[in-house]
Amino acid sequence: MTDTSILSKTDYHTSEQAERLLKKRYRSEARFIFYGRLAIICALLILVTLLSSIFLQGYTSFYQHMAILEFDLKQELVDPQNTGDPEVIAKADYRTIVNNMLREKFPDVTVRRDRKALKDIISSGSDLFVRSAVMADLSLVGTRATIAVPLSDDADSVFKGFIDRTLPEDERRVKDNQLGWLDQLSEEGRIESRFNMTFFQVGDSREPELAGIWGAVVGSALTLVVTLLISFPLGVATAIYLEEFAPKNRWTDLIEVNINNLAAVPSIVFGLLGLAVFLNFFGLPRSAPLVGGLVLALMTLPTIIIASRASLKAVPPSIREGGLGVGASHVQTVFHHVLPLAMPGMMTGTIIGMAQALGETAPLLMIGMVAFIVDVPTGITSPATVLPVQIFIWADSPERAFVAKTGGAIMVLLSFLVIMNLIAVMLRRRFERRW
Amino acid sequence: MEMKFTTKNVNVYYGDAQAINNVSLDIPDRAVMAMIGPSGCGKSTYLRCLNRMNDTIPIARVDGDIRLDGHDIHSEIDVVHLRARVGMVFQKPNPFPKSIFDNIAYGPKLHGIATKKSDLEAIVEESLQKAGLWNEVKDRLGSPGTGLSGGQQQRLCIARAIAVSPEVILMDEPCSALDPIATAKIEELIDELRQNYCIAIVTHSMQQAARVSQRTAFFHLGDLVESGPTTEIFTNPKDQRTQDYITGRFG
Ligand SMILES: Nc1ncnc2c1ncn2[C@@H]1O[C@H](COP(=O)(O)OP(=O)(O)O)[C@@H](O)[C@H]1O
Ligand SMILES: [Mg+2]
Repeated sequence: MTDTSILSKTDYHTSEQAERLLKKRYRSEARFIFYGRLAIICALLILVTLLSSIFLQGYTSFYQHMAILEFDLKQELVDPQNTGDPEVIAKADYRTIVNNMLREKFPDVTVRRDRKALKDIISSGSDLFVRSAVMADLSLVGTRATIAVPLSDDADSVFKGFIDRTLPEDERRVKDNQLGWLDQLSEEGRIESRFNMTFFQVGDSREPELAGIWGAVVGSALTLVVTLLISFPLGVATAIYLEEFAPKNRWTDLIEVNINNLAAVPSIVFGLLGLAVFLNFFGLPRSAPLVGGLVLALMTLPTIIIASRASLKAVPPSIREGGLGVGASHVQTVFHHVLPLAMPGMMTGTIIGMAQALGETAPLLMIGMVAFIVDVPTGITSPATVLPVQIFIWADSPERAFVAKTGGAIMVLLSFLVIMNLIAVMLRRRFERRW
Repeated sequence: MEMKFTTKNVNVYYGDAQAINNVSLDIPDRAVMAMIGPSGCGKSTYLRCLNRMNDTIPIARVDGDIRLDGHDIHSEIDVVHLRARVGMVFQKPNPFPKSIFDNIAYGPKLHGIATKKSDLEAIVEESLQKAGLWNEVKDRLGSPGTGLSGGQQQRLCIARAIAVSPEVILMDEPCSALDPIATAKIEELIDELRQNYCIAIVTHSMQQAARVSQRTAFFHLGDLVESGPTTEIFTNPKDQRTQDYITGRFG
């Protein structure tokens, strides 16, 4: 070796050239980290914008202005025979009682058109509130009772500050006389802002102040139960078979490719399939959680199968060898040792699949879950809608108050999604690899 | 010396590649048989033939005549029975992610050796005694087996193998992941176990083979080069390759 050999330059690392290269390396590292942080900040900003716009749009749906009014629950109107029978009392004409109250409260409103306008300031469902107050306390029959009824959505908007009083009257949804009556009630301290229980108790309605998401929540829950009951056992069983027992040949390769492809099929296609197969061929009921759940199960299956196979693969072979080594059969080894270790991963995958299913809209539109359904569903075959479809329906409604409902429903949906993802994260943490 | 395993003309293929060529070897009962040879020469592959562990590798194909007490292990003995009779301890300790107690009780429960809790407890204690682990873990049988040190885990695996009352114990480099002290303990244990079991051990350490075994087989590139009493192999090898290997010329 001569001194000219490139390897003999032992002073290289202290030379200026090496120094420059080192500095350059650090600069590019710093740049890379800066870009990374920038990306995260951008993502966070977008997320915050999104969430805050949803919140600002939706938070008003969680409270509601109520008018606290005095109703004359005349015996001859509510229970003329004085039977005390709840069934009779439930059937009484509460609409008349509400009208009487208005006539009594505002005696000088006599013109037919004005009376109509007066009626419009309180919810058209006020009679139902009076009835449920009476049903809750039968001793009210025959007395004058103070009962809170919701304002109509337009009147509610006045107190929520959505109505610009400076606009000319004919450009305003709430007219001058209505504003006058509302101001009078407000001065008397009869208007109260309350947490909107109705929103969490009832199904959809044409009247925004009477519309709730409970119907959609129950619909979503029933649908997801069907989805879970079908896709979890089926998906896990498929994954176990394919991963642990199936021979590796062209057929299983083909099946594997197809499962991966299925995960990428647009969800609306599953909706069409559901329409053609479950509704038209098998004649299952329309708009039912049963069919919705079946369709979503088809959609979730690939997700669960792929996640389950991945978590089976992640179980180290040494565990299998240990089981086989003490004389457990193949099936025993899988079920006693491999499956318990893979289960948290499978459940995480399932929850993520369920969260996807919970947010799915398009396939459910195809099978009629977009219908206007007032009743809270009672079973998997009764007509129902689900949260994202409810959001879709409300977003499509013109009333100002439904815009707020849309935001409120999105918040509810997002909270469910966050909860599901938290559970998935917790499962992962809790059962972290123990080998 | 009574032979436990007799194997004749064993060939093993992984796909198209042959890993073992025509190996014929007998393994004596109540003695330790060591298998030595350079890395990749097929020691593990041969050992895994003896309890049909190669069945779990889809591309592996085994042919040849392998008999346990004169019965063909492929046609006359059910594979699950075979694995209960021929226990195995692996290179990396692989206790189940369960309690120490359950690690050992699993096999006996599975095979119906014991169903009563008191019997199981007796088996667990005896197995741990035999594996020299009892005194170290008797106060924490409920804690996870994976929480033990590497050497303890390996002895737990030996206890787990003993617990199903096997006749043979196969060990594939059981000390390669352990420190010298833990290794010494296991070697001592192997020496005791030989009173009751047929033991076949793969090792890459010639010293270990010399210390624990009565017979040694030397493998090279898939061939069984020679086998015989350990002292003879180490002092008077017949084949040049064996000589080269034990004198450290390759390996
Ligand atoms: N699962 C396997 N698939 C394919 N080839 C394998 C497999 N296991 C071992 N082999 C090959 O078989 C030969 C013998 O391996 P092995 O028995 O593990 O050797 P040793 O235990 O003596 O180091 C090696 O060439 C190895 O590459
Ligand atoms: Mg090996």
